[in-house]
Amino acid sequence: MNKNDIIQSDRRIESGEPLLELIDLKTHFKTERGLVRAVDGVTLSLKRGESLGVVGESGSGKTVLSRSIMGLLPSTAVKHGSVKFAGQDIVGFSAKQMRHLWGAEMSMVFQNPLNSLNPLMKIGKQITEPLKLHLGMDKATATATALQLLRDVRIPEPERRLNQLPHELSGGMRQRVMIAIALACGPTLLFADEPTTALDVTVQAQILDLIGEQRRDRNMSVILVTHDLGVVAGHTDQIAVMYGGKLVEHAPTKTLFANMKMPYTKSLMRSIPKLSDPSHTRLATIPGRPPDLVNPPLGCNFAPRCMYALPKCHVEEPPLTPTADPKHVYACWYPVGSPEFEKRDAELQATGYMPEDFSAVS
Amino acid sequence: MRYWLQRLGVAVALLLAVSALTFGAMNLLGDPLFNILGPTSASTLPEDLEIIEAAKAEYNLDDPLPVRYVKWGSAFVTGDFGVQFSVDGQPPVSDLIKERLPRTVMLLIIAQTMAVLIAIPWALFAASRADKAVDKVSTVTSFLFIAIPNFGLAVILKYLFSLKWSIFPLIFNAADPFWTRVWQLVLPAMALALPVASVYQRLLRTDLITTLQEDYILTARSKGVSKRNVLFKHALRPSLFSFITIFGINTGALLGGSLIVEQIFIVPGLGTAIVEAILREDFPVVLAIVMIVTTAFVVINVLVDLLYSLIDPRVRAS
Amino acid sequence: MSDATAQANADGAASKRRLGVGFWIAVFWLFIVFFAATFAPWLPFKDPDNNYIVSGERPPYAPSGTHPFGTDQDARDLLARTVFGARVSLTVGLVAIGMGMLFGGFMGIMAGYFRGWWDRVISFVFIIFLSFPALVLAILITALLERSLRTISITLGILSIAPVGRIARATTISFADREFVLAARTLGAKNGRIIIRELLPNVLIPMSALALLGMAVAVVAEGGLAFLGLSVEKGPTWGKVILTGAGSRDLQKAPWIAIIPIIVLFLTVLALNFAGDRIRAYFDVRETAL
Repeated sequence: MNKNDIIQSDRRIESGEPLLELIDLKTHFKTERGLVRAVDGVTLSLKRGESLGVVGESGSGKTVLSRSIMGLLPSTAVKHGSVKFAGQDIVGFSAKQMRHLWGAEMSMVFQNPLNSLNPLMKIGKQITEPLKLHLGMDKATATATALQLLRDVRIPEPERRLNQLPHELSGGMRQRVMIAIALACGPTLLFADEPTTALDVTVQAQILDLIGEQRRDRNMSVILVTHDLGVVAGHTDQIAVMYGGKLVEHAPTKTLFANMKMPYTKSLMRSIPKLSDPSHTRLATIPGRPPDLVNPPLGCNFAPRCMYALPKCHVEEPPLTPTADPKHVYACWYPVGSPEFEKRDAELQATGYMPEDFSAVS
Repeated sequence: MRYWLQRLGVAVALLLAVSALTFGAMNLLGDPLFNILGPTSASTLPEDLEIIEAAKAEYNLDDPLPVRYVKWGSAFVTGDFGVQFSVDGQPPVSDLIKERLPRTVMLLIIAQTMAVLIAIPWALFAASRADKAVDKVSTVTSFLFIAIPNFGLAVILKYLFSLKWSIFPLIFNAADPFWTRVWQLVLPAMALALPVASVYQRLLRTDLITTLQEDYILTARSKGVSKRNVLFKHALRPSLFSFITIFGINTGALLGGSLIVEQIFIVPGLGTAIVEAILREDFPVVLAIVMIVTTAFVVINVLVDLLYSLIDPRVRAS
Repeated sequence: MSDATAQANADGAASKRRLGVGFWIAVFWLFIVFFAATFAPWLPFKDPDNNYIVSGERPPYAPSGTHPFGTDQDARDLLARTVFGARVSLTVGLVAIGMGMLFGGFMGIMAGYFRGWWDRVISFVFIIFLSFPALVLAILITALLERSLRTISITLGILSIAPVGRIARATTISFADREFVLAARTLGAKNGRIIIRELLPNVLIPMSALALLGMAVAVVAEGGLAFLGLSVEKGPTWGKVILTGAGSRDLQKAPWIAIIPIIVLFLTVLALNFAGDRIRAYFDVRETAL
């Protein structure tokens, strides 16, 4: 596999054709306890310039999904299915082959900017490293490009930053540097794994806006991984909700917010903190624990925690079914709006049995 | 800056305490005059009485102990270590030190260089293959090397590489050119270096494995940096902190070890000097060597601290 | 995922909880060495100081049926000398680490429990002793005093106070704020009672592993002193036996004189290190499981 082949094949992609296509992607980990099905059959596609939000609680497999696509997994992982990037199946690529894509064609911004920058390497060197590596730039050109990148991500006094070390910068600044590094070689696909979780609320919006703005400027695709539906609302074209390693609802963003089908999605919605809430409001969380991925429940993964679950939910797994809009799919026997759901909802309201954290927001 | 003054203060206090202890031991354990002159001190022959008087004057034996300590200490700082009464012509101790010290220092430098050059690649190799078969073999190997006392290793190395296979020379000759002397010190240095290299390797391997799990290593990989460069350029430097500390501590152990290894390979350094002095009951020499070695140890540990802050800018910031 | 890793850790802990075959082999070797050393005078060993000269043949004699380890230049039986040497080497090791545990442990626990002035003074004393390269301090003391078993043992004992004490102090500090100690204190227990009933058992566990390692260090230190002519003057010691064969000519002609005792010393140090390491790993798990 030649580095140029990959890049050229990608450049031929017209917008409109999918840049990334996952078909029944499975990622399993071998552990002493058994096989952990961290990602269990995910199918989706993403066009050039589009952005996708992958949403779920911790342990839902969203981070493993993004790392599976990128091939950044420990050696205990086993992947099945296919990942087509720019028309090429990269699922079996070795780390050596992937290296030509990493940084150059796809790159990643991690959750914690305090740990994701090398503490002992000057900011400038960390940005120029991929430039020299992938684009063969000499030192002067690379430094000039790094300066431009720092300006692009709106870092004040960029010249000074080049010679600073990460600990001299604030968390928000560091995340901007991280974004500059990820953008350095002009990738076509950017992963942002909880890019704002570790940051101040006021900084969060700035970082998300920055990613969105860069996406439009560079006609780049973005996969935004988060536990927070609020984060993806204004910043993505489509949303994939994950639970227990599987897609449970997938729709264009506007459609999803207008017409949620999965009770799980609905409860995620309830767990968004609002700026208008007084501080120290107890955050609504979903009671119960994520499913055991070694021995998943027989029926719907979410059934044990779902207040709307009926006997069928515990024995039979719901398939992904399309709604009237074929782009909106969900996996639930009794989705929001179905007679069974409404009946149960009325019962719950009548008995006043709404767990504290549910009623707290509604 | 304040931190450095503090460090310096502690080092000076330590040197004072350590020298007081050493000097005190020399004067309180046994008769100081005997310690200086050996059997001569009890002699009543007129020519010996002269020497006794000279020794009493040289070491101010008629003064009380604290005064003697101060006089001795201030002389020591200026490089005046007293007189070798056991040698004809009573040459100053500093002559002996000037002749012997460079050889011991050279041995130590070669040993530490070897230890570091062995330990770093070894640790990188083992850490990048953590828990695989090769790594387990390397762990067992390091465990075995740590258990061999340096004098045992020295005897075995001498037997195998000098006597059986004659690869390395048996004798150190101070008159040989520099690089020949370095070559003559390789085997003694190896006896010191192999156990220490194993200690370094074990520690560095553990720290590297921890570092390799850091987020910024994932960042480096996601930039497309090769595995090799991830190890060398991103993982190595942040993993060196405890390595540097242990480097300082082991310099002390090596100083002690080199005294012994010099005996086995007959290198006329400080170790041989101290043994000769003990045999002749010439304690001013012992005192001088003990003080020099100890001072070196304290100073090295301060330097290690300095180095520490140079490689970790976060220490400087805080 | 988190469940899986927790479980994996528990499995790992279970495997650490066993001491392993290697540990028992090490203990077996130590048992042999200690047994032979303790009962040497009553066991059928040859006289370590007798010269078993065979007329017409010049010693040293190579290992054979009569002398399994061979003899030295004076035709003295090396097996007997190694075993009787073990008596001295092991005594030095035991006394040294015993003193270290007793005084170092006491000072360390006091410093760690009462903190404040106590801690500052004791810690400074520890730092002073740790500022000497250990062997150099040993040289200083043994050079000045007569070289008896008592002097050597006590010297090495003094040297082991600071390293043992420092660990005792650190361990005590880590335990002194734990719930069970606080609970005892709120129930009105006196300091002495807390130290003996609550702290001591917990500090002793990591110390016992340290004792084995420390003993190995002391045994090696005796050997080092022997090479400087500073070991026990009377009778064989491991260091002195090795030294008799370490000269170039002897090593070339009769390598067994030095190399067999080196192997015995190495195996003993290895067994002490390994057993200590296993005990530490074994108890670390219990500590984290608390």
